[in-house]
Amino acid sequence: MSYLLTHLHHAFHVDEAIKSEEERVTIIRFGCEGDTTCMEMDEVLVKVAEKIKKFAVIYLVDVKEVHEFNVMYELYDPCTIMFFFRNKHIMIDLGTGNNNKINWAVRDKEEFIAIVETVFRGAKKGRGLVVSPKDYSTRYRY
Amino acid sequence: MDKATLADSFLADLEDLSDDEIQDEEVAEAGEEAVDADEDMADVPILNYDDLDSVAKLQKSQRFHDIMKKVDDAMAIGAQESSFKGTVVEDDPEYQLIVECNTLSVDIDNEITVIHNFIRDKYRAKFPELESLVLHPIDYSRLVKQIGNEMDLTLVDLEGLLPSATIMVVSVTASTTSGKPLSEESLKKTVEACDRALALDEAKKKVLEFVESRMGYIAPNLSAIVGSAVAAKLMGVAGGLSALSKMPACNVQILGAKKKNLAGFSTASALPHIGFVFHTEIVQGTPPPLRMKACRLVAGKSTLAARVDFTRGDLSAKIGQNLREEIQKKIEKWQEPPPPKQPKPLPVPDSDPKKKRGGRRLRKMKERYALTDMRKLANRMKFGVTEESSLGDGLGEGYGMLGQAGSGKLRVSIGQSKLAAKVAKKFKEKSYGSSGGTSGLSSSLAFTPIQGIELSNPQAHNAFGSGTQSTYFSETGTFSKIKKAF
Repeated sequence: MSYLLTHLHHAFHVDEAIKSEEERVTIIRFGCEGDTTCMEMDEVLVKVAEKIKKFAVIYLVDVKEVHEFNVMYELYDPCTIMFFFRNKHIMIDLGTGNNNKINWAVRDKEEFIAIVETVFRGAKKGRGLVVSPKDYSTRYRY
Repeated sequence: MDKATLADSFLADLEDLSDDEIQDEEVAEAGEEAVDADEDMADVPILNYDDLDSVAKLQKSQRFHDIMKKVDDAMAIGAQESSFKGTVVEDDPEYQLIVECNTLSVDIDNEITVIHNFIRDKYRAKFPELESLVLHPIDYSRLVKQIGNEMDLTLVDLEGLLPSATIMVVSVTASTTSGKPLSEESLKKTVEACDRALALDEAKKKVLEFVESRMGYIAPNLSAIVGSAVAAKLMGVAGGLSALSKMPACNVQILGAKKKNLAGFSTASALPHIGFVFHTEIVQGTPPPLRMKACRLVAGKSTLAARVDFTRGDLSAKIGQNLREEIQKKIEKWQEPPPPKQPKPLPVPDSDPKKKRGGRRLRKMKERYALTDMRKLANRMKFGVTEESSLGDGLGEGYGMLGQAGSGKLRVSIGQSKLAAKVAKKFKEKSYGSSGGTSGLSSSLAFTPIQGIELSNPQAHNAFGSGTQSTYFSETGTFSKIKKAF
C-alpha cells in the first residue's frame, strides 16, 4: 500500500486513466495490496515515480477491489505491471514467454527505468512490441 | 668616519622636524620626564654623536609641549558635545587640535625610531644580537633598561616584557654573545635614551587616547563601522583623516600590520594582510574561515566612510550605520547553508536532438573514418562492364572503377587528407629534384620512384574524390595569377 502514488478504485477510473494520457506512458500495477511481492514492487515504483514523471505516470490498482480486469488480463499473480501508450497496450519481449506484462517484482530502480524508457521510445515510434534491454528468460536459476 | 656619516643622515632627516629649541624649559607634565643628558655638549656646533639631543629634537620642542598641554586640558574638560556648529568644521579649534595630534603622533613615531637607532648603536657593544631578535623599538628600550650592564641574563627578570618564546631566545643568545659590558658613561646615556623613548611612547598613548575620545566628533561614520579605538589607530597610523581617505582600501586593510618576526620563528602560520581592521568587533565576530573575507569587506566600507567623513558629508553617522548594516547582512548571507539539492526528473527520451559539435578537431577525427577516394571509385561501376574482383570471377570484393580504363589514372594514390597541414608543409619544403634556391612558387614536378613514368603532380588532388575542394584556401596550392610589376 503506497500513500504516495495514485490508487484507482473503479474500473471506470482505470479506463479514463489509460485514455487520458497523450504524451506519457501509463504504467498500471495490478496487485493484491498486502502481498510482499506487491509491496516490494510498490517501493520501487514510489522511488522511481519522480524521476520518470516526464514520460511516464504510475497508477496502482487493487485486484481484489477492481475485479473487471482479472479475467481480461489474466491477473493471477500477486503483482502485475502493464504498460499503455495512447490507449494502446504495449507489449515487451522480456524473454519469459509472456510479452503482455511484468508479473514479478523488479527490484532495481535503474532496471525498471530502462524498461520504461524502452517502452516509451518504441511506443512513440508506433511500435506495439518492444524488446526489453535485459533478458529475463533465466530469471529462475535452477 | 662611519659614525659621522650616520649622524649626518640623522640630521638631514630631521631638518623639518625641529621647531625652536628651548633647552632650558622644564615644564612639569603628567608622565613627562624632562631629564636632559649632556646639556653642555650641545654648545658644540659640530655634531657630537654622543649627544642624543642633537638628533632627537622633538621632545624638547615647544610644539610638543604645547600640544601635550592642550591635550591634557581637553581631557580634563571631558567629552563635551561639539559647541561649534559652524559649517566649516575645519575652523573648530578642537578639530585643529586633533589634526595636530595626528601629525604629532607620526612625528613621535619618527622620533622613537631615531632614539631607537641611537640606543641600538650604543648597545651594540654590549649585546649585538639583540637588535635582530627584538624589532619593536619600545620593547627594545624596555629590555635594554632591564638588562643594563648585566652579562648573565639568568639574573635578569624579563617576565612581562616579552612573550616567553622570545625571552627564551634572548636568554640563549645572551649566553653566547660576543658583547662586552659598556662603560659607566655610555651606560648612563643609553639608559637615559631608553627613558626618553618610553616617555615618548607614553605621550603617544595619551594623544591617541584623546583622539579616540573625540573620534565620534571627527569621524562619526568611520567610528560607526569599526569602533572609535580602531578608527583612532587607523587615523594615527595614516597620519590624519585626509591621508586615510586618500588610501585605497587594500592599504587600509594593512594599516597596523606587525613587522615580520626575524627571530627564526616561522611566519607561515601568522595571518597575512592583517592590520587594525582585523581586530574590529565585526571581523572578530565572524567565524574564522570567513575572517579574511570579512576583513576585506570592512576595509572597503570603512574607506568609504573615511572619505565621507573627510568631506564632512554626513555628520549624523547615518551613512556609517547603513554601511555597518550592509556589512552585517553580507556576512550573514555568507553563512547561509547552500540551497538543498532538488532531485531532477529524467528528461523525456529522444526529445532533444543531439547537440552536434563542429570544428577542426571534429573534422580531423571524422577523417579517420571518412570515405576515401579509392573507396569511392571502388563503389562505383561502369555501365556494361564487369568489374574486377579480388578473388577473380566475381568472387571476393569488387574493385568497381579502380583500375578501369578511362578513369584517367594508372594508379590511384591514397591521396592526402585535406587537413594534414603539417604533412603538406613538409611536402612543400622538400622540393624534389631541386636544391633550396628555388622560389616557393615552383611546383615540384619530378621523377620519383613512387610515380614511375607518370608525370603527375603529387600535390594535385584527384578529379573525382575531392568534391568541393577549393583551391582558393588551399594549403598546398600556389598563386593562380601573378602580375609582374614592370
